Amino acid sequence: MNITQEKVFDVAACVLEGEVNINTSPELRKTCDILMKNGEKKVLIDLSGVTYIDSSGLATLIEMFQRLKKIGGKLRLSSMNEKVKNVFEITKLYKLFEVFDTREAALRDF
Amino acid sequence: MIISEKIPSQLDLIPDFIHNFMEKIKVLSLGHDEIFDIKLSLEEALVNAIKHGNKMNLNQVVEFQADITDSQLVIKVTNAGPGFDFTSIPNPTEKDRLEKTSGRGIFLIKKLMDKVEFSDCGRTIKMVKFFRKGDKSEHNPRESF
Repeated sequence: MNITQEKVFDVAACVLEGEVNINTSPELRKTCDILMKNGEKKVLIDLSGVTYIDSSGLATLIEMFQRLKKIGGKLRLSSMNEKVKNVFEITKLYKLFEVFDTREAALRDF
Repeated sequence: MIISEKIPSQLDLIPDFIHNFMEKIKVLSLGHDEIFDIKLSLEEALVNAIKHGNKMNLNQVVEFQADITDSQLVIKVTNAGPGFDFTSIPNPTEKDRLEKTSGRGIFLIKKLMDKVEFSDCGRTIKMVKFFRKGDKSEHNPRESF
């Protein structure tokens, strides 16, 4: 998995590419640690390049959501492909996360 | 075709193991959806077996068996742990469990595979995927279960 970070106004946008699995989830957790350390309160995770996500990836995103919530921050997810979206639908995690079809729509919502 | 392997209790070996297995079943020309479902279910089963079954004990292995025909894939994953009560698995989609960071593996497997059974006090999980060929409406094995 590859993670690219950029700042769009006051939003920390992370673009994920590849597979979010048991081996790559710790990398995502590390990114979250850095974002928290930098005091970021608005975080966008762009999943447009993610081809696969397992329960460890979901758990890492839930942790990120909880950590941001604790400091009054916001997490938005965007641009999932159909299979990844299906995993969020099966697990009903779309009820927990704010999920947007496009990155632009997610950015507008902050 | 039957594939049997013993997998060491190391989580970091799982993605490569799955990659190699998916390469082996490429000959079946499965659809994108079926590949995704099998891959995710297999990963969840192996993670559970290593983490919760074998408790990451490097002296214990996970037994993997796949029985592949033109019409279906049957995967069995067996751990060496004490087993668990597979009849009372909490539903992770319930409101008060949505923020839990664990407990979604078996739920996902049950949703993505066509048939799932536990045996040997929960040490073995058997997962079946029926391959969709031609018009699905002609024969849908899901309806048999």
